[in-house]
Amino acid sequence: MMAFLNDHLKNKQKVALHVSGATKSFGKVDVLKGIDLKILAGERVALMGPSGSGKSTLLNCVCGIELLDGGTIHVGGQELSGLKRGELEKVRRENMGYVFQSFHLLPTLNAFENVEFAAQLVGMPKEQRIEKVTELFEQVGLSHRMDHLPNALSGGERQRVAIARALVHQPRLVLADEPTGSLDTESGNQVLTLLKTLSADLQVALLLVTHDHDSTRICDRVITMKDGTLLAS
Amino acid sequence: MLSPSRFQLVWLLLTRMTFRHWRSKGGHYILLIGIVAVGVGAFNGIRQASRSASENFGLFNQAVSGQSDFLIESPVQRLLEADLVKLSTLGLDPDWHLVPVIEGSVTAVKTGGVDKKQLRLIGLDLLALGNLPTLAQESLRFSDEDANWYDWLGHENEVWVGQKLADQLRVGVGDNITFLASGRLAKMKVRMILNDPDGNLPDDLVLGDLPTVQSLLSRPGELNRVEVVINQLDRREDTAYLGNIEKRLNQLLPVNLSLSPTQNRAADRSAMTAAFRLNLTILSLIAILVGAYLILQALDAAVVRRRAEIATLRSLGVDGSVLFATYLMEAFVLGLVGSIAGVGVGQVLALGAVSMLADTVNALYFATSVEALTLTSLDVIVGLVLGLLFSMLAGWLPARDATQTPPAQVLARGDWSPGFSWLRKPKVGIGLLVLGGVALLFPPFVMQAGSNMPVGGFLAAGCWIFGSALLSGHVLVLLAGWVRPFCMGPVARLACSRLRDGSSRHRLAVAGLVVAVSMVTGMFQMIDSFRGTIEEWFDVRFQADLYISESGVTGAGSVNGIDPKLMDELLKDPNIKYADVMRICYAKPPKGVTVLAGVDLEHWRDRARQIWLKMPGSLKVVDGAEPALVSETFARRFGVLSGGVVELETPVGRKRVSPLGIFCDYGNEFGMAAISAKVWTDWTGSNRPINVSLFLKDLSKLQETRDRLRIAYPGLDIRNERELRDVALGIFEQTFQATNALSLIGLAVAFAGLLLGLFSIFDESTQTWQTLKHLGFSTSRFVLAAGLEGAGIGVAAWVAGSITGLALGWLLVFVINVQSFGWTLLWTVPVESILWFGALLTGVGLFSGVISATYWNFRRR
Repeated sequence: MMAFLNDHLKNKQKVALHVSGATKSFGKVDVLKGIDLKILAGERVALMGPSGSGKSTLLNCVCGIELLDGGTIHVGGQELSGLKRGELEKVRRENMGYVFQSFHLLPTLNAFENVEFAAQLVGMPKEQRIEKVTELFEQVGLSHRMDHLPNALSGGERQRVAIARALVHQPRLVLADEPTGSLDTESGNQVLTLLKTLSADLQVALLLVTHDHDSTRICDRVITMKDGTLLAS
Repeated sequence: MLSPSRFQLVWLLLTRMTFRHWRSKGGHYILLIGIVAVGVGAFNGIRQASRSASENFGLFNQAVSGQSDFLIESPVQRLLEADLVKLSTLGLDPDWHLVPVIEGSVTAVKTGGVDKKQLRLIGLDLLALGNLPTLAQESLRFSDEDANWYDWLGHENEVWVGQKLADQLRVGVGDNITFLASGRLAKMKVRMILNDPDGNLPDDLVLGDLPTVQSLLSRPGELNRVEVVINQLDRREDTAYLGNIEKRLNQLLPVNLSLSPTQNRAADRSAMTAAFRLNLTILSLIAILVGAYLILQALDAAVVRRRAEIATLRSLGVDGSVLFATYLMEAFVLGLVGSIAGVGVGQVLALGAVSMLADTVNALYFATSVEALTLTSLDVIVGLVLGLLFSMLAGWLPARDATQTPPAQVLARGDWSPGFSWLRKPKVGIGLLVLGGVALLFPPFVMQAGSNMPVGGFLAAGCWIFGSALLSGHVLVLLAGWVRPFCMGPVARLACSRLRDGSSRHRLAVAGLVVAVSMVTGMFQMIDSFRGTIEEWFDVRFQADLYISESGVTGAGSVNGIDPKLMDELLKDPNIKYADVMRICYAKPPKGVTVLAGVDLEHWRDRARQIWLKMPGSLKVVDGAEPALVSETFARRFGVLSGGVVELETPVGRKRVSPLGIFCDYGNEFGMAAISAKVWTDWTGSNRPINVSLFLKDLSKLQETRDRLRIAYPGLDIRNERELRDVALGIFEQTFQATNALSLIGLAVAFAGLLLGLFSIFDESTQTWQTLKHLGFSTSRFVLAAGLEGAGIGVAAWVAGSITGLALGWLLVFVINVQSFGWTLLWTVPVESILWFGALLTGVGLFSGVISATYWNFRRR
């Protein structure tokens, strides 16, 4: 019995994202119709689907930007529903990383500072921060570009900086919304490889939203969404 | 890991982002700091200048001997030699010294490089002065060369001047200063130039022996006051001792004289100009207010420009309160740096404004001159606090707007304009309009000198201005809706549809302009109404052929008057049919001061033309009181519009005057009661006229008579009706100089705000413009559409601002003026000016739109 309970607790801790019976409507339009989804630590899941299928809404609900009408979302074991706005922001700050299609680097900070900034937000001590950021820059292959401002970097480089920023505070879950959408094929491939390697190394769960079937090759699972429901898992 | 505190996060955002934005747009932020500096500087400068201009009436003791302790005065501020005799027992007491003083304003003419300069001529009993305990302690010395101080007395017509004045007039020892006083042209000889190493002496001060000055002013046997200096200087702070001295002095004081601590006099004079200074303060606050509006627009533009950055921060988990605090801190830093710079700017502006304001005070209140500007620690604190307060208030809305920015995931979807959603709700605006109406019920606040401050009127003005500014967005939407069906081309349709949509930023741009437009339109009306009324008053009131007054002295309070002997001589002119001689002095009612005039009451009542508010005889004179014709201001101040009695202190005791008629008068705000000349002379012991109106026998010889009198009496101003009108209107224009200057500042700032607002609007519509570009919308079309958008904002601001301005005009004419000054003005609406203003606003709006769109387009490239 004890062994069962230990296993159960261990599994529970390993779950990075758990969405259960999630529903969401905008007016009379039901956008999410009872979504169930579980992603384990270190697991990479691709979320595909046509426009209007509810992908963005699901992502926003996972981030805590939109609130569910029904169901629950747990990130790193913490349930989001019922949290206040400030608490949701704290969860987002500490447990999640986000990679955007259009990078969204802060224009006044250089590449190093952009990554360091996310670590500062969670209160990482300076020495540890510098060490961690330097290490990440080595991993993303941009050690020679650390002091460049975003507008001096190529698209691929910017996205690699954004990946480093998403991972620097060791979140449970990284949400990547079309991370290769604005990149050429070669840069896109580099970014995907990087996401795969880093999420595996750091045991971070990855939810990759994409329209590109080729991008799903780095993922362990592919989920398709249509009309607010998950079709396949 | 310990999460950083909010303060640490705010500091991080400030240093890593805000200040880096500042660095990349250095010129922009220097301009913003400059705007705050000018706003705070205008406030501080006007504050300092008005203080310097209106409070420099320094007593002899303040200028020379440091300090006197008490003043002995008569209610009309004139003592006769007989009074001095009555004080003889008082002068024997060893605990104090009495220093009799005569003081008058004279005008130096054509001396050195100066054409005209108003001087303060002070006569002292130098023998009494020699015994003053303070003199030895002062750094000021009359001369090293005079071993015998009795030589100070010199000869008749000899005076002493300070080094500064000597330099200005380019005179040395033995030179003559030609001057005008009491209607006579005379000369005084410089006996000594006072040694004043510390520059303590004012640059308009001339000192002389008492009899010399009495002679120079043609006021033999007269004094203005007697100053009392206590002997034991170390007990000056001992209130019990001073109380005892005051008690003893009062016991020995003749009944017709009054004793007061010296500082009360400063307070009295200060109180006389309190309303004037308060009005200026309110006007100068507008400078800060418009500065704050620009800060609001600029910070709002910064929020819009940095929207993507804010959204990214939100998606990284930075919470709203941290963003709010960061933007508020940005406003704080802008305000702090700007306010500190504003202290310096204020000094520069004060230097420019002080002579202008001194001229106004001279014209309206009492003879004054410019004293060295002083910057007190209170000035610095008030400037800093106001600068910070207004900057932070201005930063509040953009900071709040920043917190409403969604995370990047949501923002990426399209244009975002959460902005000032409350501008879309009419409730607050309507509430303010109603509140303004209620404020009109408040009675005016009575100030120290008896002037009234129309608190309710000012509150109503504020409420109406801000209420209509909040509602002006609805006017914009309404107008755009009306015009929309007539818009055919794509450019006009686009511009109109955007105005019809009425984003918060469009509404904010209109609101800012409405504040400026309504204030300027209101001021237009008040000034035009004032001018029209005064011209009407002149047409009715001034029917005489020639008007004669003391030359050089313009102040309502500078009552040297004309030497009676000179007047008798003048009235012998063969072409004079009738002379309406007027005598005036200040009189003390229960509160403040007023003017008591001695006139030919019969002529005033039966023959002189006036604009009568109550015809003579329509009011019943109270038994035992002296019949008087009173001005409207007097009647309103003392509540005798329907008749009654006002008690006035005179040298012969308390006297009662009762109105028999009320006339309109725009000469001063203290009010005037005119009684018969004979009674006036009995009450005041004087016969000095202040002016005379001459009716001639042969009008064909008007110019000839005027020229003849001018040659015979060079110390008198002799003018015909037209010339007098020009002088009066000159004073009028002088009075409104500050108002006009501040209105212009307000307008300039409003237009700058419009430019900034349009930048924000275009920045926020980036995606729309990109889409239109892809649809083939050319740059020139974009610029034209932007111009039409700007013009639309200008038209809406003009319509809303003019309606509010009309209400403000009514308020200024019928409430604020009546309560402040007791003047009924004829309300004039300058339709032509308002129409021109509308055309100007539309043009400037169009121009602003074109300029901002061109620049925006250039920047995007």
